[in-house]
Amino acid sequence: MKQPTSNAHEASFRDPSGYIFHDGDTLRRVINPIYFPQYNQLKDSGFYNTLMNKGLLIPHEETSVSEEKIIITPEPIPFITNPYEWSFEQFKHAALLTLQIQKYALSKGFILKDASAYNVTFHKGKAVFIDTLSFDFYQEGTPWRAYKQFITHFFGPLVLAKFHGTEILKMLQTHIDGLPVKLIASLLPGKSKLSSTLYTNIHLLAKMESKHSEDYKAETKVARLSKKAQDNVLTNLFDYIKKLNLKEASEWGNYYEKTNYDDQAFEAKKELIRKWVLPMKIDKLIDVGGNDGTFARTVLSEVNDVIVTDIDSNAVGYNYHQVQKNGEQNMLPFVCDVLQPAPGIGFNNTERNSLLDRLSQYAPDVTLALALIHHITLSGNVPFEKSAEFFAKFSRHLIIEFPKREDSWVTSLLVRKREFINHFDFYNEAEFEKGFATYFEVEKKVVIEGTHRVLYHFKNKTLN
Amino acid sequence: MLSMDLFTIIPMYFDPGLGAMIVQAVVATAAGILLFSKNALYKVKLFFGLAKKEEDSYDSIDIEEEDTDKNETTH
Repeated sequence: MKQPTSNAHEASFRDPSGYIFHDGDTLRRVINPIYFPQYNQLKDSGFYNTLMNKGLLIPHEETSVSEEKIIITPEPIPFITNPYEWSFEQFKHAALLTLQIQKYALSKGFILKDASAYNVTFHKGKAVFIDTLSFDFYQEGTPWRAYKQFITHFFGPLVLAKFHGTEILKMLQTHIDGLPVKLIASLLPGKSKLSSTLYTNIHLLAKMESKHSEDYKAETKVARLSKKAQDNVLTNLFDYIKKLNLKEASEWGNYYEKTNYDDQAFEAKKELIRKWVLPMKIDKLIDVGGNDGTFARTVLSEVNDVIVTDIDSNAVGYNYHQVQKNGEQNMLPFVCDVLQPAPGIGFNNTERNSLLDRLSQYAPDVTLALALIHHITLSGNVPFEKSAEFFAKFSRHLIIEFPKREDSWVTSLLVRKREFINHFDFYNEAEFEKGFATYFEVEKKVVIEGTHRVLYHFKNKTLN
Repeated sequence: MLSMDLFTIIPMYFDPGLGAMIVQAVVATAAGILLFSKNALYKVKLFFGLAKKEEDSYDSIDIEEEDTDKNETTH
């Protein structure tokens, strides 16, 4: 086994209880002696097992035990999504999971010592808690020390999304430790003070936090809080979050009503994708700009792991809804704007990896980019070669759809350029092929029947 | 003194926010009243046959334990 410290994972340095490291391709977790008492108790009491059997905590195996360290190996998660990439519904589930686990922990004499949104990710179609060392012993009568973190990471952003829309959730990208309570309070409408839950959990909290912000010596007496009282706090937050809905929520379904081609062409496109993807016998696929996952679902049963991104949080939400409804374990939807993919954030810019880092690590066998390139090129003004560079960073095989100038969507995007329309004369098949030729070679090329769209199968020249 | 005990027993691994620790007593009281009244209202509705069973896709906050086996270890 390699020396763990040099391979320590960038996301786990904050917790003195242990850290994650790369052992070759495998991620393992070192537990330091300072955490042995907690770990042993969590293991021996059956606490870990209950949560793992319920699918609430990522399962792990104990790999080695010595006096200096215990090493555990958690079940691998193919792709980690971060909170600012979740749809509202996913965010809600992550928050509810955290409360469930804290309430259960409390009943067993433990607490969640932190309530960071990064403790949760999505795996096998569900929210799962991934920080196995987040538990500590409960001290009778103490309030929940991670309460504020829960508000700044989960409750605040969710409530704000209700009032201001899902764009708010992206603020987590610039606030790795959650949104400041004061900011949350200031962004809420005045009427939110009439809700006892919002008033106490946000407005009063903000007030108390600024009142006690200068208690440098920790001299102020901390109130006691009974277990029952803490249960009430958790249950009330749980009930409130469960009922939270988006104001902007569009009707789920029929995302493809706006397409400009008929059912037959739609089916022809699905069939083409199956015909091209299935013979490759692939393991991993990503559909970039994949909307609600309709096209990725045509191959879902034959690919081990599928991720689908979209810029529209509601489409991602609808996809996630279907994942839950159909019990799909190999489909992971998340929000991504191709024109500004999530950057590396946190300390050293490495605590949370950029989307491109994660994608090249994930190394999908096939990338689907359907009805996307005209948006990147004409709405984002990105030259073809630049788009090709983006896809080439992570795609071995790229199946990309090119809508021609005659396509009604393209025509509409071009008309909107008004007097600058001539600047986009390069938008044609020949230029597209030329731009992509720097990184890709054409394997196949077919016009989708009944449309002005061409489907390409490119093979990456720069990746093996 | 409780506060000192609290901060020496639990390692200061991140700042829990003092205001946040104090405010929980008030939050809990408000939550308690709300939950109590909701429950009372539910019982009244139940008595008059007005209570509807809520349909949603969320689990309950309580984790059921009956089908897990404590003796089954993972290593």
